Amino acid sequence: MRGISQVTPKLRSGVSICGQRTTSLLILVSCLFSVKGYNQTKIDTLRINLKAIPGMQYDLVRFTVKPGIYLKLVLTNEDEMEHNLVIGKKASRQKIVEAATALGAQGPTFGYIPRIDDVLGSIPVIKGGQADSITIRVPRNTGVYPYVCTFPGHGNIMFGAMHVTNGVMPELTADMDIPAHRRKSGNNDQALHSSGHHSSGHPYPLNPPYLYRVLMPDAGPAAIAVCLPVGLAYCWDAGSCRLRYAWTGEFLDLTDYWTIKGELHAKVLGSIFYRDKTRFPFLMNNTETDSILPRVQFKGYRLINGYPEFNYRVGNAEVFELNLSTKDGKGLLRQFRITGLEQPIWFVHDKEDGANYQSDKGVWTGYRLKLEPKDAASFTITMTKTGQ
Amino acid sequence: MKALKYFFWIIWIVLIACKSDEPEILPEFSYQVENIDLPEGLTGETGALEFLPDGRLVACFLRGEVMIYSPKSKKWQMFASGLHEPLGLLIISEKEMLVMQRPELTRIKDTDDDGKADLFEPVTDEFGMSGNYHEWNYGPVKDQQGNLYIGLNTASEYGKVMPEVRGRLDTTLVPGKPLQKFAAVPYRGWIVQITPEGKTVPYASGLRSPNGLVVDDANRLFVNDNQGDWVGTSVMYQVEKNHFYGHPASLLWEEGWNKGDPSKLPIPELESMRSKGAVLYPHGIMAASPSQPVIDRSAGKFGPFSGQFFVGEMNQERILRVLLEEIGGQLQGACLPFLDNHGLRKGNNRLAFAPDGSLWVGQAQHGYAGDLGIQRIVYTGKPPMDIHSIHLLKDGFELTFTQPVSDSVAIDTSKFYFRHYYYDYHLKYGSDQYDVLHVPVSQVELSADRKIIRLILPVIKAGYVYELTLKDILSERGVALQNKIICYTVNQLNDQQ
Repeated sequence: MRGISQVTPKLRSGVSICGQRTTSLLILVSCLFSVKGYNQTKIDTLRINLKAIPGMQYDLVRFTVKPGIYLKLVLTNEDEMEHNLVIGKKASRQKIVEAATALGAQGPTFGYIPRIDDVLGSIPVIKGGQADSITIRVPRNTGVYPYVCTFPGHGNIMFGAMHVTNGVMPELTADMDIPAHRRKSGNNDQALHSSGHHSSGHPYPLNPPYLYRVLMPDAGPAAIAVCLPVGLAYCWDAGSCRLRYAWTGEFLDLTDYWTIKGELHAKVLGSIFYRDKTRFPFLMNNTETDSILPRVQFKGYRLINGYPEFNYRVGNAEVFELNLSTKDGKGLLRQFRITGLEQPIWFVHDKEDGANYQSDKGVWTGYRLKLEPKDAASFTITMTKTGQ
Repeated sequence: MKALKYFFWIIWIVLIACKSDEPEILPEFSYQVENIDLPEGLTGETGALEFLPDGRLVACFLRGEVMIYSPKSKKWQMFASGLHEPLGLLIISEKEMLVMQRPELTRIKDTDDDGKADLFEPVTDEFGMSGNYHEWNYGPVKDQQGNLYIGLNTASEYGKVMPEVRGRLDTTLVPGKPLQKFAAVPYRGWIVQITPEGKTVPYASGLRSPNGLVVDDANRLFVNDNQGDWVGTSVMYQVEKNHFYGHPASLLWEEGWNKGDPSKLPIPELESMRSKGAVLYPHGIMAASPSQPVIDRSAGKFGPFSGQFFVGEMNQERILRVLLEEIGGQLQGACLPFLDNHGLRKGNNRLAFAPDGSLWVGQAQHGYAGDLGIQRIVYTGKPPMDIHSIHLLKDGFELTFTQPVSDSVAIDTSKFYFRHYYYDYHLKYGSDQYDVLHVPVSQVELSADRKIIRLILPVIKAGYVYELTLKDILSERGVALQNKIICYTVNQLNDQQ
């Protein structure tokens, strides 16, 4: 938990009426009580919590307040960069940002807060994990009052709108006082579909096969996602050199991966039918304990008609693996070429991994396929969804 | 008489001719910024820019593309796609390139001559990945011996560690209380060298976010690092083998490290281990996030700053210059703005000089302050009035201007406003400026050609940034000084003069 770490109350100038920054509602209330002589009338103080979040933005891009009330704005910085908050008169954002820029070398000294009349109040620069607040008297004139981060470079992206009104705000999509990219309600344009008909953020149509090196769930961080024709896709791990899982349906949703800093991985859109549950799918000997796993090394891939053929070393053997989809799109056709073998090699799988296996070479014993070096030189394993 | 009449005619014609060379026919500005159209559909987050010898541009974009652009035909062509946040590029030929992506440094090759890469081979993947979003990789740059250098970002305390990582996991600094960048897998926070034989060698440690490497003509490696925890203000290091540059997280991966959590070592001990930056970029004044440095090797095609460093700034519409000199056997120097605004966007992540001497700039934002796209800065031929270079004296600074200054300025000490301050070395994010003090100029001297001004100060202290603001300086032709602030990092005093 990141707590509030900057709590020193200070007097503030330039704020319309109630200019002191308070650290808790309690202090504010007790202060007002002392002024009001223990009058029990509830003071109309609205508390608004704002967060500076990754992506150069305030989490709350706009809010409404009634004219003339007291407003306590609490800013928590959940980003790794420094941010401040300046609340200004109507339509003053550009002027405030320019005045902040004009501070030049004095910027750090003033916390990038310009000393101009347009500033109604401000929260100084706070670092990640810190919080600070300000209480202001909301202007009596209705209208849109901007709040903006005036740290250099932030002012034209990181801002929001305080709508002072007794009514309601305009539709989000029609609110011209917030950043353009925040006007959309559901931003889901980064989903990558196997049909390739959607906007992808790429200058080419996404017609399978194609691949994506991207952080994937349930795999090592050096993952490769491959979209095959007819609604089939798989995740191949270039760290552990093996197929991790395969799915049917749509491909990936990268919306969060591309737009939310810190988002861990892409989202798989379809339904995963197969997951590798072995420790490693190739064994250099047929011991039941398979205690020693072969050393692997990723050597890259070659694109063959758009399909990646992976190349990796397993012990002293060199493996080439090309994964296609079966004609009906219900399974994977895995073409292997293994060179450098002097002894047989075993391909293994798990009973519960979601796939049925067939091979054109070698001898099956349970879930193990023994391949003599001459068979291993070129063989195909067909994996179809269990129950198909 | 007739001869004299002809003589006056000739003088008159010469005067006319000279007059037509007066500033009014010169372009208004010395540099202009042009936008480069990107292909439709592309997300223009620029990860790398380099030029082929024939003048075509190769650009990497963070959603995985490597594309080739012909400035002549203005056409884009796809060379490769599907790469993982490519942030660096080294061209071997139009058919073979090295691309720095998140999981590896990769050789990409067009082996079947169809203009598209079909072979992707790791040059090195011998470094760890925790899956944390902040683990970006930069470079490669090549030295004169053929060694490659790459920079490996630390992981962010605001990000996560995936359940599966690549490389040995050390959770000493995870989840990171107090908050700081961490290195949970090998060589995060390091500059790594790849020898011509293909060996991957951890080269130098202590980096936080080294988004920008360059090797200069003297075969020296320079790396920019970004302000944050343990980095009081952004900085350019001259990186040397086995040196430590101050961010402790990386020390976990020092061979034989046995001192536990390196961020808990006493500051004096860390201080004694670390090598300081050659140039500090005062935060919020010069840059909040400097990116790639490049060197002007255009031999004058880009104006009067040949051999100097140009550096991108992510947070502002700005390109900086860096001026280096050797004092007491060590490199140090100054930074100053080169270009502000003029149509330039923010997010200036990547720079590259084209063979024609124009400076290309690729923008990115990637969740930070920034922008998208590619722009090109062209020297119009109008000589800029700017600071050309700065030299630390025993008792002051010597500024050389690109043009003679007007007579009247030199004698006036009030036109040169010096402040000094220093930044502290500590875990907390960034540093305030300490001991901020106005240092009055005691004496101004002007050289006979009026291109050099010596500013004498009462005292100069090592360990400080000297920030000079120049007021109302004009060239003798009346052109105002382009950039009016310069910050010199005094690590070493000059005993020589």
